[in-house]
Amino acid sequence: MNFWDTITGNDLTREYKGFEVRAAALPEDHRAAWEQIKAHLFLYGSFTGRNLMPILDAALALLETTAADGQSAGEVLGDDIPGFCAALAGGAGARTYRDRWREQLNRNVATKLSRLGG
Amino acid sequence: MDGLTEMLKGTLEGCVLEIIGQSETYGYAVTRRLNDLGFTDVVEGTVYTILLRLEKNGLVEVAKRPSEVGPPRKFYTLNDAGRSELEKFWAKWQYLSARIDTLKEGGR
Amino acid sequence: MGIRDIIEGKKQWRAHMARVDALPADYRIVYREMQKYLFKVGPVDLLGDSLLPGIVDFFEEGAAQGKGVRHLIGDDVAAFCDGLIGDSPTYADVYQQSLTGKPDADAK
Repeated sequence: MNFWDTITGNDLTREYKGFEVRAAALPEDHRAAWEQIKAHLFLYGSFTGRNLMPILDAALALLETTAADGQSAGEVLGDDIPGFCAALAGGAGARTYRDRWREQLNRNVATKLSRLGG
Repeated sequence: MDGLTEMLKGTLEGCVLEIIGQSETYGYAVTRRLNDLGFTDVVEGTVYTILLRLEKNGLVEVAKRPSEVGPPRKFYTLNDAGRSELEKFWAKWQYLSARIDTLKEGGR
Repeated sequence: MGIRDIIEGKKQWRAHMARVDALPADYRIVYREMQKYLFKVGPVDLLGDSLLPGIVDFFEEGAAQGKGVRHLIGDDVAAFCDGLIGDSPTYADVYQQSLTGKPDADAK
């Protein structure tokens, strides 16, 4: 029995396998990000598997969307996958990350627009 | 006046309801009206998010009409729910401003 | 409609992004940065509840009137985004709810 079976029970294994099939179809850097996201989400002790599913689904869907859109995983998640996971899971730190994303958004816009000469 | 943004936050939605209540209008016109009133910091984006919320909460009727420039424009009118929300806004505003005036005049 | 349905309906998504690509450069930059932020924050009901197409409608209208994107939404793009999503649940809210079985009061 692998780690996943232990924490989720087998009824969820099939759903999880579905995620892995989807992840396998991702470009390489998105797939690497997926591995990191899983590793970090497992750090949250309160995850029982069942409530982790929607979050894994959401994270995977985000990677799929950005891949379809031709954006790199890094471009969307930054270099901060632990922070992304903390924010996904809420609790301590989630709001700090939200604030950081706000600043990041405004800073990116300001930089890119000034490069445009506007 | 500068630095009104925070203080205006809770009342801007009521102001937009009032403007729509006076006559059918669209986002840019609402923004201009607020700017002309002296709320110069209000941008179209802010009004857009308020209109979106009013629409989502079922307080306005929306009609899309062609415009001379660019894509069709969304025009807004109040429905019954919007009118009753507007009444509530003015009641709250009158209460608030009366209490604050009393405070300033040193009464209780 | 969730993000995954969008991916499955790639055609619709591509049509949406083609509209984005047709916007002036400043609008395009702001839209893309906004989209990244919105994706990270919460389960954005993408094309389904018309949030993203709505932004593009709004941007097309502004561009057609010859306005710059900053003029339209101001400098605080994050505040504009937060206004758009209002109090719709974030990923964190959804997870906290799954733990306690009720909305996370602390996250408000």
